[in-house]
Amino acid sequence: MKKTEIKKVAQVYGTVLAMLAIIIIFGILRPAAFLTVKNFINISRQMAALTVVSIGATMVMVVNEFDLSVGSMASLGGVMAALMAVAGVPVGLSFLLTILICMVIGLVNGFIVAKFRVLSFITTLGISTILDGLIYRLTGGATVFENIPPTFTWLGTAKIVGIPFLSIIMLIFVLVFAFFMTQTPAGRKMYAIGGGEEAAKIAGIAVGKYKILAFVLCAALASGTGIAVASRVGSANTSAGAGYFLQSYAAAYIGCTVSRQGIPNVAGTFVGAAILSILANGLTILQMPSYMQDIITGIIIVVAVIAQKLGRGDAK
Amino acid sequence: MLLRTTNVSKQFNGVYALKDIDLEIEKGEVHGLVGENGAGKSTLIKILTGVYSLDQGDIYWNDQRVDITDPVESRKIGINVIHQDYVLIPAFNSVENVYLGSEYPKKNGRIDWKSMRKEVEVKAGELGIEIDLSKAAYELTPPQRTCLEIVRAMMTDCQLLILDEPTASLTDKEAEILFSIIGKLKERGTSILYVTHRMDEIFRLTDRVTIFKNGTKSGVVETNKIDKDGLIDLMTEKWKAQAISHSSAIGEVALEVKHLASRDGIVKDMSFQAHTGEILGIFGLGGSGRTELLECIYGYRAVKDGTITIKGKESRKRTPRNSIQEGMVLISEDRRGKAMIGGMSVRENITLSCMERYTKAGRFERKRESEAVRQQIDALQIRTTGTEQRAIELSGGNQQKVVFAKALMTGPNIFLCDEPTQAVDVKTRNEIHKLLRERADAGSAVVFVSSDLKEVLDVADNIQIMSRGRSKELLKNEGLTSNEVLACCYDK
Repeated sequence: MKKTEIKKVAQVYGTVLAMLAIIIIFGILRPAAFLTVKNFINISRQMAALTVVSIGATMVMVVNEFDLSVGSMASLGGVMAALMAVAGVPVGLSFLLTILICMVIGLVNGFIVAKFRVLSFITTLGISTILDGLIYRLTGGATVFENIPPTFTWLGTAKIVGIPFLSIIMLIFVLVFAFFMTQTPAGRKMYAIGGGEEAAKIAGIAVGKYKILAFVLCAALASGTGIAVASRVGSANTSAGAGYFLQSYAAAYIGCTVSRQGIPNVAGTFVGAAILSILANGLTILQMPSYMQDIITGIIIVVAVIAQKLGRGDAK
Repeated sequence: MLLRTTNVSKQFNGVYALKDIDLEIEKGEVHGLVGENGAGKSTLIKILTGVYSLDQGDIYWNDQRVDITDPVESRKIGINVIHQDYVLIPAFNSVENVYLGSEYPKKNGRIDWKSMRKEVEVKAGELGIEIDLSKAAYELTPPQRTCLEIVRAMMTDCQLLILDEPTASLTDKEAEILFSIIGKLKERGTSILYVTHRMDEIFRLTDRVTIFKNGTKSGVVETNKIDKDGLIDLMTEKWKAQAISHSSAIGEVALEVKHLASRDGIVKDMSFQAHTGEILGIFGLGGSGRTELLECIYGYRAVKDGTITIKGKESRKRTPRNSIQEGMVLISEDRRGKAMIGGMSVRENITLSCMERYTKAGRFERKRESEAVRQQIDALQIRTTGTEQRAIELSGGNQQKVVFAKALMTGPNIFLCDEPTQAVDVKTRNEIHKLLRERADAGSAVVFVSSDLKEVLDVADNIQIMSRGRSKELLKNEGLTSNEVLACCYDK
């Protein structure tokens, strides 16, 4: 094996090895509390929401855009579903309607970016602010928790043979979207757009259509995440999704380091979300103050971005 | 003597871009510089302005030997260049743009806008330039921008002003304004190196002309002692088309373009027909709009006016997608930007336009796809480690073969080729020529654009001349010489 080959392997598996190292460290420090099946099942449930929203962020990144509205979209998803359920809409239908409405908002995001060729950064920041306002209009700023039907919390709390339903959904989503992005023409076209938008256009790919698709799917997944969080805790906080914005991109960037070419990918994002969730869980068990968690998470994000750049081979 | 160069040479990858150039420019002289595409004009400009360092030779400035190591040094001794593309900051107003790169005058520690404005007004006034100084650069017309750049050049003690195709984006009327300013500059004793493709401007403005050919100087003459044919003779290598083996007769019209104009105004009025079995060369000088023409036909660039008829069917709203469906492909000149996706594999690039074919129930059948790609790799003899190598890692010639493979996969019968042999090795170049001829013989229509006239003469059955966005003569490539083709291009 040549030296460059070793470097490449280290790049791809380095991230996974880092995850194992984190597990080992926590395992040594707190074997009784951390290294238990129960705790890992717990982690898998905690990371489900982050994983799903991060898959959405990943797809938008694949087409070389950014969606800053994922956090607000998640908050809106939770609030809308909860309000509908409180108003008597059957729980399943309230989830479905919420996701559909958020997909329309994602369509607006994508349409503006594709049609007017404006920076998605700014567009989605604007949309995000609108959504925040909308949430306030809907709730008056208060958490929705009164009169929530018991069925509302089933999604977030149910277990199937001891495994949280959320964890199962997460795994299904990872598999489905990893398949979608790597095994179908739509996924490859999205990668082509990210790899070279003009070349994709010349090759006859409907660039605008697939950019819009990425934003729509991202919105669907973000709102789904919001619903899952609300269902898990039995209430919808107006800013429940806020934390997911940065975390999802952190997961996606860590995920880039799992690919040889440093490009966003669903499987990598899954690893990224796992690393962030394991860290959060372990640091909590160690009773680290939350600001320490912020500092450590921040450092990991910065390191991941640098590693991704190095992986692409275009760093100076 | 203001400027004298002796034996100036510059190589790129072992190939001379300039060889033994002796150039002399007198004080107050308007000196023309002409030559075909790639003759070395731009390289010389870049050496004089410190962008490139020279490999050999000396530069004398006012009879003193100088080293022009960087652009700042060049400006300091009094050389300024005005490029084809403007280097103004669009949102800055005229005063701010003129002062770009020079020290702002200060008064009580604050920028003295008033005196800056006055200074610019004076300089502009001296040259008879009238510009609204508070307008931002993007609000100015093209000639106003050129004028502004000239004013900027005059802010420093400019003794040699290099104008590189200054009228390329100007109308005839706008060019007149520029010419009168050139007259004023000359009166003041400023020397001008005037680089252009346009013969009429050479004869109208310059005192002497230096002619470049393939990186060497083929002559320097007093402008009033030579005529257009004489100049073209010095510029071009005598090249006559080799007998082309037309095995099949030229058939019916496959592609017809009538009075085509692009929205950005680069293509102005272009009409031509391409037939089955024909390789139609489109030749024009740099900036004539060849690339833009092909992009308009393909549906990549917005069309303002005119019609495009493909196999008898006129279509107004074109997209790359329906071009491919109608059997038309574009081999773009911008390989890395528009023709291939460097980060993707050879396989993914080759099937980029037809990937749906290799799916079953919506899912890729990787085996079948790889098999088809391998066939293309074999057929075109693409040198790659396999179907999975990234396209960017291949050599230029093999990248271009991947681009062709991608096009061939869609089963095209109209080829729009824009500089298809650019930056490829000689062997690949011949292979591409052979491939296109085979396709034409099999009934395809090939539109072939190249800035290399020799290549066009070698490859094309007929040559459509394009000049400043308009179609000119259509020449039958039988016993045609490069001089005859160029004479059409330079004709006003």
